Amino acid sequence: MTNHWIDIKNSDAVLIIGSNAAEHHPVAFKWIQRAKDNGAVLMHVDPKFSRTSARCDFHVPLRSGTDIAFLGGMVNYIIQNNLYFKEYVVNYTNATFVVGKDYAFQDGLFSGYNPTTRKYDKSKWAFEKNKDGGPVIDTTLKNERCVFNLMRKHYSRYTLKNVSDVTGVSEENLRKVYDAFCATGRPDKAGTILYALGWTQHTVGVQNIRTSTLIQLLLGNIGVAGGGINALRGEPNVQGSTDHALLYNNLPGYIALPLSSWQTLAEFQKANTPVTTLKTSANWWSNRPKYMVSLLKGWFGDAATKENDFCYELLPKGEPGEDYSYMYAMDRTYNGKMRGGFVWGVNPMSSFPNTNKMRTALDNLDWLVCCELHNSETTDNWRRPGVDPKACKTEVFLLPSAHRIEKEGTISNSGRWLQWFDQAVKPAGEGRCFADIVVPLFNRIRELYKTEGGTLPDPILKMHWTEKFDAAEWTRRINGQFWQDTEVNGKLYKRGQQVPAFGVLKDDGSTSSLNWLYAGSWTEEDGNKSKRRNTTQTPMQAKIGLYPNWSWCWPVNRRILYNRASVDVNGKPFNPEKPVIAWQDGKWVGDVPDGPWPPLAMEGGKLPFIMCKDGCAQFYGPGREDGPFPEHYEPAETPLANHPFSKQLVSPVYKFHTTPHDKIALPADPKYPIVLTTYSLTEHWCGGGETRNVPNLLEAEPQLYVEMSHELAEEKGIKNGDGVILESPRGRVEAIAMVTIRIRPFTVMGKTLHLVGMPFFAGWTTPKCGDTTNRLTVTAYDPNTTIPETKVCCVNLRKADKLTEIG
Amino acid sequence: MQSTRRSFLKGVGAGVLCLTLGQMGFDLGEAKAYVRKLKIEGAKEVISICPFCAVQCQIIGHVKDGKLVSTEGDPDYPINEGSLCAKGAALFTMYTSDHRLKKPMYRAPHSDHWEEKSWEWTLDQIAHRVKETRDRDIILKNDKGQTVNRFETMFWMGTSHASNEECAVIHQALRGLGVVHMDHQARV
Amino acid sequence: MPKSFLVDTTRCTACRGCQLACKEWHDLPANETKQTGTHQNPPDLNPYNYKIVRFREHLDEKGNVVWNFFPDQCRHCVIPICKEVADMAVPGAIVKDERTGAVLVTEKAAQLSEADIKAVIDACPYNIPRLDTKTHLLTKCDMCADRVQAGMLPMCVKTCPTGAMSFGERDEILDLAQKRLDVVKQKHPKAYLAYVRDVSVIYLLAEEKKYYYEYASFM
Repeated sequence: MTNHWIDIKNSDAVLIIGSNAAEHHPVAFKWIQRAKDNGAVLMHVDPKFSRTSARCDFHVPLRSGTDIAFLGGMVNYIIQNNLYFKEYVVNYTNATFVVGKDYAFQDGLFSGYNPTTRKYDKSKWAFEKNKDGGPVIDTTLKNERCVFNLMRKHYSRYTLKNVSDVTGVSEENLRKVYDAFCATGRPDKAGTILYALGWTQHTVGVQNIRTSTLIQLLLGNIGVAGGGINALRGEPNVQGSTDHALLYNNLPGYIALPLSSWQTLAEFQKANTPVTTLKTSANWWSNRPKYMVSLLKGWFGDAATKENDFCYELLPKGEPGEDYSYMYAMDRTYNGKMRGGFVWGVNPMSSFPNTNKMRTALDNLDWLVCCELHNSETTDNWRRPGVDPKACKTEVFLLPSAHRIEKEGTISNSGRWLQWFDQAVKPAGEGRCFADIVVPLFNRIRELYKTEGGTLPDPILKMHWTEKFDAAEWTRRINGQFWQDTEVNGKLYKRGQQVPAFGVLKDDGSTSSLNWLYAGSWTEEDGNKSKRRNTTQTPMQAKIGLYPNWSWCWPVNRRILYNRASVDVNGKPFNPEKPVIAWQDGKWVGDVPDGPWPPLAMEGGKLPFIMCKDGCAQFYGPGREDGPFPEHYEPAETPLANHPFSKQLVSPVYKFHTTPHDKIALPADPKYPIVLTTYSLTEHWCGGGETRNVPNLLEAEPQLYVEMSHELAEEKGIKNGDGVILESPRGRVEAIAMVTIRIRPFTVMGKTLHLVGMPFFAGWTTPKCGDTTNRLTVTAYDPNTTIPETKVCCVNLRKADKLTEIG
Repeated sequence: MQSTRRSFLKGVGAGVLCLTLGQMGFDLGEAKAYVRKLKIEGAKEVISICPFCAVQCQIIGHVKDGKLVSTEGDPDYPINEGSLCAKGAALFTMYTSDHRLKKPMYRAPHSDHWEEKSWEWTLDQIAHRVKETRDRDIILKNDKGQTVNRFETMFWMGTSHASNEECAVIHQALRGLGVVHMDHQARV
Repeated sequence: MPKSFLVDTTRCTACRGCQLACKEWHDLPANETKQTGTHQNPPDLNPYNYKIVRFREHLDEKGNVVWNFFPDQCRHCVIPICKEVADMAVPGAIVKDERTGAVLVTEKAAQLSEADIKAVIDACPYNIPRLDTKTHLLTKCDMCADRVQAGMLPMCVKTCPTGAMSFGERDEILDLAQKRLDVVKQKHPKAYLAYVRDVSVIYLLAEEKKYYYEYASFM
């Protein structure tokens, strides 16, 4: 989230799209309703009418997988009707930047496309450069190759008619949402966009979110109270686990995984340190070398010295362009290239797409280590229905893990608040928290390398490690420490003391931090700030519910990101009623500003988007794999054979695999005419591995169901409560029919199209409840993130003669 | 200033609290005999956080004699203000569920059953599997002769259920081993 | 002054926090249920669920989907008919705590005959009490009397995230109910407060009871 949960109440228009907030973030809905109490309009754009829709001013049904068309239509509407916030657009975004001559867009393809590799040569999308290498900027917006004009041209095809034809949303409903949301283009109004997995789980997931960026920047809604692009993060600590990068491509703190092409630390730093020519750009990532060295120092301690590149050489290096994500790991497992695996606190044999492939793949491992609260479809995959356990060679170690209330430490909420939790009771039985397993396990491995030797023992043995896990010690390590006595602003810090903020981190080995973003969370001066339970606020902060003294939030306790964009170039809030920051008497008041510099118009002033190289937010994003502007493509598995935006039916660069299990139906395949979308539900947690084992929750949602319209049910001779069999090219699933007016047929390109929806909480280890919906879903992925397209695939269905999975 | 919206509480400390009743001046009246005893009376309050979505509602765990007796929302947390959804409201039986795994279990190759094992044995076995696999498969140089120190044949999946500290521990250990196939729920 | 609830159904999101919280606080075991084509599960009040959220959907005159949620529970009537009927058979089987207004089933209710029990159940205008055949006791919401007497909110009210449920002194709740009704009426002109004078649990409904549940309101 750019903003935070409470801030939603400050919004004048809440657009919930790609999220079912009331069902999946029920308590967040408190703040959405407070916005409504304050006069906001609430809108829900989603394939089905849900508990969220029930509490919104209106619901607009959208065919799953057409968000870019819907939002692209809004971009066009804003530009055509002159509804944008020009001062914001001209001063704070790259709308004014001139794009180089190699950029082109023709019939669905951007320049630089190579159909053999299915990749773009992104150098074709570069900005035009000045003599000094900086961007060419036209603040008059007259240059026909400036970003604003290219964007205007790009989205001119997104007319109400074209958008309506593809999305299945009536033109009247399109206007209703566009008008209500675009009313926030005024300086004193704010609109927020709330999204979740409904946007990310598509082959165009990243571009779905990018399109919302276009809208929010045009309307001047980023950085302001009640604005922003707010990912309602689902998983319990997915903010923290992303910050600390349990992800192949990052090191903690959004630092890239070293690649083989960067053999030395200097090469790594050069490639990962952006340079700007603009004096008004803070270019915050120019500090990245300090964060990288401080991370290495945190990992390798005294063994990390300037002379040995702080042990950079010891780190694994990926191959450029190689993908080591979940889906690729499973594909390699399927193909027999993996020997062992750890699957902890996640149930991929229920929640991964195309689960029949995944379940088959897992049998190929020599050994598997799971750590869970309960047996799951993953831990017990070797005895799944229809297979002979004796045929499965995999050795499985299943470790009992501890529940949250049985351990202590910190987690980070969606608004980036760092929160401490205490241990209430000891873990059940012999259960242990994850770290109480990893630490002794790693110590045993270290011991083996010490006593037996082995290949490349140095990275293991040279680590600054611990004998026994202590959560507080690691909270302190994450914040960071001094490794030599250092004076900061006249105050002496001794070796081993906490660093006060990331501003003091250095690239010379004198400081460590396991995550620079968290520096400042546990200081010598204030102790552990994640434990703060202080609700005091200044009257200005109280107006927008900032709560700066409750817990702590990264970065530097800044509650609303990009808040310098909430004020004009003189530091005056665009909305004086709900100011986030303001320049008063030579200093900033309110939230912690994005950097200490004075307002832009003053000497030394800086642009608001400090994480962007040139300080400006990006309408034009030349770094993505699938184009600098979002473009509508159909899902990998689509009920259409063509669409009106271009001849390019599906994303030209989406990723996929090619085993016999990775089948994708042909476009408009008559065998699979119905669109399936999948989702979570309130009473179960994701794949249900945990909540299905809570009898009180299973009582409320006991069995797998499929929601369908009365029209489709009638066509298929299905009654409410009947058993149904669904089939896709990849699998077959049983469910109970929930026939409802909450799903209605779409009219798409002049034809009636049916969509059905299913939760994915079910699994065979819970008797009579059904088995995973994901046996139907498709192994096609976003080219930027490799997130699978679990939100759309094509199926057929019929009434079941008898059910075997549901009892 | 510390916050409290619980008038019956005497001061709110750092996490662990003690619930005191009896001085509230309640006249329990006629129905008293039929009202069951307040099960959290005299219980210690511990602040935890709901283990599901990233609203991260704060929870009070009521603990008596080392046992959890009830859970409910923390009214002081400015975001949930004491409220919870169905899942958060079911935390107590989630923690007390008999279905929980209580011991390390082992399934041998081609076996059709689980066996209980000790932590000692289990961690020893896993350490050996990791080391043997790594020693056999780690790639020190790629085709171009560049140093890569990459252990490709073992993956790690999970988890957003881990605390920040656990994530830091896991990430550091994995990169030390040279693991590159690591991922978690942020990617599904 | 007795206590009252306001249940503003126009704020309810059917998250079922109340349904689960009630069950957990009262240590009630789970029922084995089935999916029958609705989210409403368990399908009805029962000895192990003193509170359930009812779901009902319809199309309005403009063809828009309306999905109503009704968190159903004992109304703790100002003059409880169940108590009057029970008193005729076994005095004290059902009591009313004058201080809180809670209508409570006592252990004496075990002495009620089958016929008495049926009479009590039939007498309830809101179809609330259920018989636990194992204990031979009538079961229903007890207003979390243990909590209320300790100065705490009933568990369902405490748990409600959206402000659909409020609890407090009766005059304050009546005041709040009227204020909310005034707001809700702007969008739902047919909105009303269900039987304010007779019950301690006041429902704010946006439209006729048939769009919620037959027993949502007495009339």
